[in-house]
Amino acid sequence: MTELLVLGLSHKTAPVEIRERFAIDAAALPQAATRAREAGCVESFVLSTCNRVEIYAAVNDADAIGDRLPDVLAAAGDVRALRRHAYHHRGADAVHHLFRVAASLDSLVVGEPQILGQLKTAYETCRGAGLTGPALNRTLHRAFAVAKRVRSQTGIGRHSVSIASVAVALARQIFGDLQTRVAALVGAGKMGELAARHFVQTGVGELLVANRSFSRAHDLAARLGGHPRELDELPRLLVESDIVVTSTGARGFLIDRKMMKRAMKARKYRPVFLVDIAVPRNVDPKVNDLDNVYVYDVDDLTSVADENLASRRREAEQAEVLVRQEAERFLREIAGDAVKPTIIALRRKADAIKRAELERSRRHLGGLDARQLESIERLADGIVNKLLHDVLTGLKRSAADPGPIDLAEAARLLHQLELDEPNE
Amino acid sequence: METLFAIGVGAFGLTTATYLASLWSPREQVGRGARWLLATTLVFWAGILATWFARHGFDGGTRLYLGLSAWSLGLLFLLLLRRYPIDTLGSFVSALACVLAILSLLVSRTEPVSADLGWALWVHIGLAFVGVTAFAFATAVSIVFLIGSRMLKRKSHNPLRKRLPPLDVLDRLALRAIIVGFPFYTVALLLGSVTAVRTEQSEVRLSYLVALASWVIYGAVLQARLTAGWRGRRAAILTTVGLCACLVVVAQYSLRGGP
Repeated sequence: MTELLVLGLSHKTAPVEIRERFAIDAAALPQAATRAREAGCVESFVLSTCNRVEIYAAVNDADAIGDRLPDVLAAAGDVRALRRHAYHHRGADAVHHLFRVAASLDSLVVGEPQILGQLKTAYETCRGAGLTGPALNRTLHRAFAVAKRVRSQTGIGRHSVSIASVAVALARQIFGDLQTRVAALVGAGKMGELAARHFVQTGVGELLVANRSFSRAHDLAARLGGHPRELDELPRLLVESDIVVTSTGARGFLIDRKMMKRAMKARKYRPVFLVDIAVPRNVDPKVNDLDNVYVYDVDDLTSVADENLASRRREAEQAEVLVRQEAERFLREIAGDAVKPTIIALRRKADAIKRAELERSRRHLGGLDARQLESIERLADGIVNKLLHDVLTGLKRSAADPGPIDLAEAARLLHQLELDEPNE
Repeated sequence: METLFAIGVGAFGLTTATYLASLWSPREQVGRGARWLLATTLVFWAGILATWFARHGFDGGTRLYLGLSAWSLGLLFLLLLRRYPIDTLGSFVSALACVLAILSLLVSRTEPVSADLGWALWVHIGLAFVGVTAFAFATAVSIVFLIGSRMLKRKSHNPLRKRLPPLDVLDRLALRAIIVGFPFYTVALLLGSVTAVRTEQSEVRLSYLVALASWVIYGAVLQARLTAGWRGRRAAILTTVGLCACLVVVAQYSLRGGP
């Protein structure tokens, strides 16, 4: 029977300068997995992201292969450094680890959704190259299902945790779909650019970029795919834009209540979201008192992000319990499958004996009517089932909780059972 | 029949409770369960109302129309759910439907309609209830808007904030509901005046004035929204005030026993 092994480096065990030495290109994943097969693994699959490099393998001799796996992963790097920073798990621990990785519980930002996609892509690459088999396929498919369950049953991935994504999430709470909305970036600060980039990636309809230096606005607009504007046009910008990100170095407020009130009238009171990332602030906080105007400064955004992060951590505790339960259930199923051939063979042998004995009795007794025959068959069934009941129950129990004696092996020897060939 | 109506009211109550639970539970199943419960409640209500109509016809008109209002409010919500992400509105809509269902349970008059009043009276009541249903929906949406807007303004960390539909969607839905309900309500009031003249009612009752006030409020909301660009908080507050006026008329009418 194969056992699952995992060897890897992650953001938890190795700094980025170590991780980058062992990172593997998506295109080179099958080669790495092939090296694992050459080292004696029955099945293998490699995952490489910016936060982790891991090799998963189904092996027959975990002790022997486990020693060779670092060489496989360190083909392009320093094996001693790898051994110093690597972690390895086997059997139940490996399954639990994989489930945690898929559910994003082992991620740098707990609950981030990218890891599941990366895991699926890496798996498909290795499966396409014929490097995975029934053991890994089954385990990975279960890992995907567990990850899906964790996302749907806990709020682990529900809330944004970066300032830029919090701003986008808040804009969505005001406007819903952002595709028809106009966003404006006022100023060329780094944080503002990051937020504007996030809005563009989310698919905001149009981006306007205004800056004191028009050439800087022009460059930034070209980079972000927006349209440059003069900073003097700010009052008009407030009328045209639904989302305004301010990030200038101006001392004093750039947007005050009076200016915004005029803009709101011209906008026919269409809602507007002002994201003030500048310090000192560019937007007078009193602007938030106006109807349909929502102002968030950097502290507000940070506070939402922190709250979301805390909420994710709380949800992660629930997710950990769920993942542990799922891993245990999966391992029980696997163990149950291991004794299935023995149970089938035992039942088959008992049925064959019963049928042979019934046939002999029927010939010996002769002249039995249908009712008598049925009665004898029921008697034989009863004896067989009662004799087998404790044996089968014991076998199933031993699969879930194996003791010092391999009961399946003992049953096979004692009853001289011939097992079916496993079909993949 | 009374027992069936009581069970129907209980079903709306249970739906409201489940929707409220779904606001706080991260589990999607709770929300799905609430939707399923609302759909089942509506099927049950359709059966009750059909039976009531088969037995009493228009003689049981008030109960029928109140029940229909509760039913159509729920149905409207389920239909809109297919287009808008408004699951969290469920608790408000089903609570309003529950109130209408309770009113229909309390009003059990089945006295025959005077032949003098004829069809005009029932068309008047029917149209008024369509209008009130639309206004009730607009109000449910407006209340959610006010809650969401206040939470966003105050930078609230309440988890409910993240589960409410986008403010813009709520604002548009409320406007559309008023646009749909207003013509029905207008014709209903005109027919009501005709009925009053035909029955030679000389006194001007308070309910007429309140009905007229509610019509003026909704007319003003529509006018302000469509021409002056009014939206958001002020429009939501006026919409809610308008429904309160409508409900006063409905309550007066239901308790007094006729127009």
